[in-house]
Amino acid sequence: MEKKSISVKILIYTFLSVFAILNIFPIFWMIVDSFKSEPEYAAKPFALPTVLHFSNYEKAWEVANMSTYFLNSLIITFASLIVTVILGALASYFLSRFQFRLRGVTYGAFLLGMLVPIHATLIPIFLIMRHIHLLDTRWSLILPYTAFHLSLTIFILEGFMRGFPKDMEESGVMDGAGIFRIFWSIILPITRPAIATVVILNFIYNWNEYLFALVLITSSELKTLPLGLANFTGVETASLTLQMAALTIALVPIIIFYLMLQKQLVNGMTAGSVKG
Amino acid sequence: MHTLKGTRFAIFIGLLPALIIYLGVAILPIGLSVYYSFSRWDGITDMTFTGLHNYQQILKDHIFWLSVKNNVIIMLTGLVGQIPLGLLLALLLNRKMKGVNFFRTVGFLPVVISSVMVSIIWGMVYNTEYGMLNGFLGLIGLDSWKHNWLGTPGLSMFALGAAYIWQNCGLYMVIFLAALQNIPAEVNEAAELDGATGLRRVMRITIPMLKTTLMVAVVYSISNSFRVFDLIQIMTGGGPAHASEVMTIYMYNNAFVNMRFGYGSAAAVLILIFSLIVVGIVNWIGRDKKD
Repeated sequence: MEKKSISVKILIYTFLSVFAILNIFPIFWMIVDSFKSEPEYAAKPFALPTVLHFSNYEKAWEVANMSTYFLNSLIITFASLIVTVILGALASYFLSRFQFRLRGVTYGAFLLGMLVPIHATLIPIFLIMRHIHLLDTRWSLILPYTAFHLSLTIFILEGFMRGFPKDMEESGVMDGAGIFRIFWSIILPITRPAIATVVILNFIYNWNEYLFALVLITSSELKTLPLGLANFTGVETASLTLQMAALTIALVPIIIFYLMLQKQLVNGMTAGSVKG
Repeated sequence: MHTLKGTRFAIFIGLLPALIIYLGVAILPIGLSVYYSFSRWDGITDMTFTGLHNYQQILKDHIFWLSVKNNVIIMLTGLVGQIPLGLLLALLLNRKMKGVNFFRTVGFLPVVISSVMVSIIWGMVYNTEYGMLNGFLGLIGLDSWKHNWLGTPGLSMFALGAAYIWQNCGLYMVIFLAALQNIPAEVNEAAELDGATGLRRVMRITIPMLKTTLMVAVVYSISNSFRVFDLIQIMTGGGPAHASEVMTIYMYNNAFVNMRFGYGSAAAVLILIFSLIVVGIVNWIGRDKKD
């Protein structure tokens, strides 16, 4: 019995270690190779670098326009995030705390968005944006990012707000506070944990989005990080070490973000999935 | 509380901005897609209404059916690869053991990285001359196994499938972990008292209790498989010779490369219909079993 459980344990750890190595290895090797010189990489792609060539990073940062892409991604990610969370929280408040005739229909309509593949809307969004002269502007991304993430945002926030006891707002009403005042000073503060989750999820989606950016943005000074990277590696095929340096630069912030907020993120993901 | 009139107005004001953006940018376009799909249109000159012509053309196009086949492959890859692997990982990691947090963190990492980055990284893994995979095969003396993984028609879908599993299995791991943590401890204790341990307990008690979550994961995985785009567009562009083309790539190429917006819209509508049908069927089967 004792022997069996030890061998089972070894088996489990072996399996998990293989899995972990498969998950980390491609990323690890990309980082290692990003420090090699081009001839060194071509000759021995599998050896560790003899000298660390930080110059790849300097060059990649310049050649790949990393600062522009970073800035665009930051602006677009945060603008969409703020709009989504404010409008989503407000809508969730009314949907969760008030009874009115179209409540069910409205809530259902918002949830429907989680089923809609964005591909079915891509062509009209492109044409609409062109028609209202927003094509190739930051707004052309901020609007779809907001629209498509309102669903999940409302799904999570509405569920959370509905969980509060009914007399939550009473003290506010006693003080003569209006509906929006109650939302701002009573409801929003207690919704903080759910809002944190929503912010993280929205951040990751917006930061990583590719298809809308591909279709709606053409100017290189407006490209986001995923779009810029995809273009860069498509064009700059000659220098793989440069590509790897650019990828590593883009990867570092998201890994730091993930490691810092990992617990909150995983909790948020699970909160959403268990309810659905 | 408040006067009814005031409340009504506040509700209206509070919901309006979210509704306008949501309906205008996410819902209205679906209707427009259907509308465009009945026309021939380059997006610039006048639209010609052609009825079902686009659909007839698409359904006759063997490249479209090739893309449907590849979508089915991706769907099966998700169902056979991601869900069982995610479930196995969740079962193994739902306990107190050394390193459990490390394995969970590493397992979820690929989900957080953008699919563009995943695609580029895996493009490098598969690179014929300098790629890690061929390099590794050379290192262990299996030179004959080296291939042009993404450039060979018979292999490209397998190569993409592996990257697809790598990217998403952590997501299912987390979904199952959450469900496992919601199973009350008493259930496991009772099972143990009845002598159900180890694998038996997992098969008889744990997995049946995960049925709802399994269904959610299956539906999610299927609808995701219809949305695959980034990974394939960046790694192979649908090639070689359409060998790894999926419906979304077919739609994208027709609409935005060939500027056939009506035709592309019809393809988009077909993606929507196909995915709703498959999800509907799965929901129906799942419901049947529960009774």
